Amino acid sequence: MTAHVVSRTRRGAALAAPLGVATLALAAVGLVAAVDPNEPGHYPTCPFLAVTGQLCPGCGSLRAVHAMTHGDLAAALGLNLLTVLAVLPLAVIWLRWARRRWAGISRTDIAPAPVLWTLLVVVLAFGLLRNLPVGAPLAP
Amino acid sequence: MSDTGSNDPYDPNRPRQPEQPEQPEQPQEPRWGSNPPPPPEAPQSEPGGWSGGQLGGQQPGTPPPYGAPGAGQYGQPYGQPYGQPGGTPPPNYLVWAILSTIFCCLPLGIASIVFAAQVNGKYASGDIAGAQEASRKAKTFAVWSAGIGVVVAVIYILVVIVAVGTGSS
Repeated sequence: MTAHVVSRTRRGAALAAPLGVATLALAAVGLVAAVDPNEPGHYPTCPFLAVTGQLCPGCGSLRAVHAMTHGDLAAALGLNLLTVLAVLPLAVIWLRWARRRWAGISRTDIAPAPVLWTLLVVVLAFGLLRNLPVGAPLAP
Repeated sequence: MSDTGSNDPYDPNRPRQPEQPEQPEQPQEPRWGSNPPPPPEAPQSEPGGWSGGQLGGQQPGTPPPYGAPGAGQYGQPYGQPYGQPGGTPPPNYLVWAILSTIFCCLPLGIASIVFAAQVNGKYASGDIAGAQEASRKAKTFAVWSAGIGVVVAVIYILVVIVAVGTGSS
């Protein structure tokens, strides 16, 4: 009898972190949905853009999230392609994390390092391209 | 019952795990948050997993890790539960790296991705100490980018409050 209770308690505690992260993320998305980042002054300017005058790979992310929450996927893709593409992997990573916590198991698999190096190159190339005339469609 | 219950075979909340009646002395499964056993000398290739760098690494004489008939009903490798050699890779904080690249500070985000890639690369090549060191650096950068993000946000909010206050008075 107590075994069931303890087991449930353990699972409840195990899911506290994933649920907390999900709550924070949804709260942040809700804020960006409600407070329009297209209005100047609502959010701080990207520090990299403010200092260098160049777009960083993340510039346009708040507007992209705002557009996504309002169902305008085309606008979101135009504002920051990588941010839109990151949503699904982040969700998958969260789900796998929550599932491991639920089952009480440790992580045993890792992404191949070349995948992460490719990610690095893609992020840097994206940041470079959107500052060039040829990459204008990638700029917000 | 005095134990924490998860070994009760009739416990409906018992975590999924292949039945292993041949090993009644199977140690109690680790709880999340319990310390994992020390990392192995070299990671073993996990079937269906992403251990990387171990392509073709199966020794000719090594029995296949897939289970004896009747075991591993969930398709997990028999006789190689989590926590044993093959173990838990050090965290690479990749999500922090992505988030700080997108929403915070480009240099910190880039450095975080570099260390995340180092964690996985060194772990896959058996350099456990190097992977743990890279993991520690990745964590440092994650903490810094989160801290800077919060500080910038707080300063900005204060500036806006002051601006609104002086503008309306």
